[in-house]
Amino acid sequence: MTETRAATLVAPGTVERGAVHWWHEYRVMVRWHLASLRMWLVTLTIVQLMAGVGFVLGISLFFAHIPTTAALFVSTGVPVINLLTVGMILGPQLVADQRSNGSYEYLRSMPVSRSVAGAAWYTVCLLGGVPAAVVALGVAQLRYGLALHVSPMIVPAVLLTSFTGTMLGYALGHAIASPMATRMVTQLLVFVVFGFAPVLYPISQMPRWLGALNWWLPFRHMAVVTRAALTSGGHAGVLSAYVVLVLWAIVCAALAGRALGRRP
Amino acid sequence: MTDLPPQPVPTAPFQAATDDWTFRVEELTKRFGAVVANDTIALRVEPGEVYGLLGPNGAGKSTLVKQTIGLLKPTSGRITLGPFDLVADPDAARQLCSYLPQVPMPIESFHVTEAIELAGRIRGGSAKDVSARAASLIDALDLGEWRNALGQGLSGGVRRLVGFCMAIVRPGRVVILDEPTNDVDPLRRRLLWEEVRALGAHGCAVLLVTHNVLEAEKSVDRLAVIHKGRLVAEGTPSSMKAADRSQLRLQLMLTPGMPTPELPRWAGPPVRVGNNLVATIAETDAATAIAWAAEQTSVGVAEEYALAAMTLEDAYIRLTSHMSNDEDDEGD
Repeated sequence: MTETRAATLVAPGTVERGAVHWWHEYRVMVRWHLASLRMWLVTLTIVQLMAGVGFVLGISLFFAHIPTTAALFVSTGVPVINLLTVGMILGPQLVADQRSNGSYEYLRSMPVSRSVAGAAWYTVCLLGGVPAAVVALGVAQLRYGLALHVSPMIVPAVLLTSFTGTMLGYALGHAIASPMATRMVTQLLVFVVFGFAPVLYPISQMPRWLGALNWWLPFRHMAVVTRAALTSGGHAGVLSAYVVLVLWAIVCAALAGRALGRRP
Repeated sequence: MTDLPPQPVPTAPFQAATDDWTFRVEELTKRFGAVVANDTIALRVEPGEVYGLLGPNGAGKSTLVKQTIGLLKPTSGRITLGPFDLVADPDAARQLCSYLPQVPMPIESFHVTEAIELAGRIRGGSAKDVSARAASLIDALDLGEWRNALGQGLSGGVRRLVGFCMAIVRPGRVVILDEPTNDVDPLRRRLLWEEVRALGAHGCAVLLVTHNVLEAEKSVDRLAVIHKGRLVAEGTPSSMKAADRSQLRLQLMLTPGMPTPELPRWAGPPVRVGNNLVATIAETDAATAIAWAAEQTSVGVAEEYALAAMTLEDAYIRLTSHMSNDEDDEGD
């Protein structure tokens, strides 16, 4: 036993840094997150699918004959909801749970840099959001016969939408010390995104002041860039939407990094 | 799994960037508003040492640990590990210090071997190294029957041992263990302590945070007692007991319902917890004390008595002023 122990007991000789170390840590942290969510992945995927498909099909119940524009708006807005749900809603709630059960400090004591921690979690959120978004779009296509036109710009649109939502959730989860407060804030975000952000319906249907307010929030812009990448025709305001979204992404990532590295 | 032979502190297994792996805490102060959680604490742990950190709840032990692993920032003072400044470089702190928290590890969804191996991989170990080390630890701690079990079905003690493996599968230069034996059965406790000693033998500094004074007495090379944020004593378990060397511990198990008997003048202030009455006496009064205690049992005041050498726990209680507090409580 002593020989085995001597052969396998190795402590670090120095502090590892650099790109190779970053890549190693990133891959292991993605595995850690996927393993830690193992028991919930199936449930999470089902809930995500139900939410996406439910929105797509449910909206037709409001109309005797659903207008094509309404079907198109909802169908191209649902992927945004799918992408946001994991990172912006589930993410901070998981952190709140970690704070409640005491595991938060162990997880923070893991020797991974903030950028690794954020990138690994972003990857997991992307993996959790994209399949349901794709299925929801497929169901929409079958149900409404939509004239979807998927352009390569769907890649940056999805990546940026998921990244901004995930970093926003990540920053909230790590910045708010009280688990109860985190849960309340995420509930508020659900309320805002579903009810008061022009994601599933046009901004023209909102009061003017609420539309103006939404110009400063990221959700409308997520819908604009995603919808533009899924449909053909003129897409006014896409460039400005990307600009605002990139700014939100940068600010949210900075806030998340700051919250994660905070040492009171 | 036999007792480890004494081993020199080797340097061969490590491809070390430095020879200096001494853990130093210098004049460390941490304030939370008006509360001083750590007050100018200074200590030093050499590679290979198992160092106990003892103190009552709220003494400031956790605050010291959290500053070491980069979760809190000191108000003033330094924490270094050889040439590495752990306060200025929290990334280095997390890589060079491994940590077993007091709360259960978050491994509900993990298989036991997987959790240990992933923890080792995150700590920078190669797949081959951590796989071999995880297998070695599982065998050494007699966890084989749970090798492929899911964390959610494990008992508290097994889960604790898995957490211990996760903390030491790829140990830091400083290994911080917060109550590692909580919920662990007596047999596996012994196995766990063997692994702790092995860490020391291979040059890791082990910081053992505990309330279990009797266990610490048998396990640590040196220890510090922290009380109200200050380091009030430091030394070997034997040196801690030196002040009590000429004294003995008289223990009376009182008959339920009986009042505390008045102790003769040769006895120190008594402490009564439930029906258990303890007082210190001078070694020279041993014969008198036995006669007195025997009389108490014969008249029915006490059911039994014991006279024993002072323990580290007695020294600990003296240092943390619990004796006087308890005395006050009991006197009320």
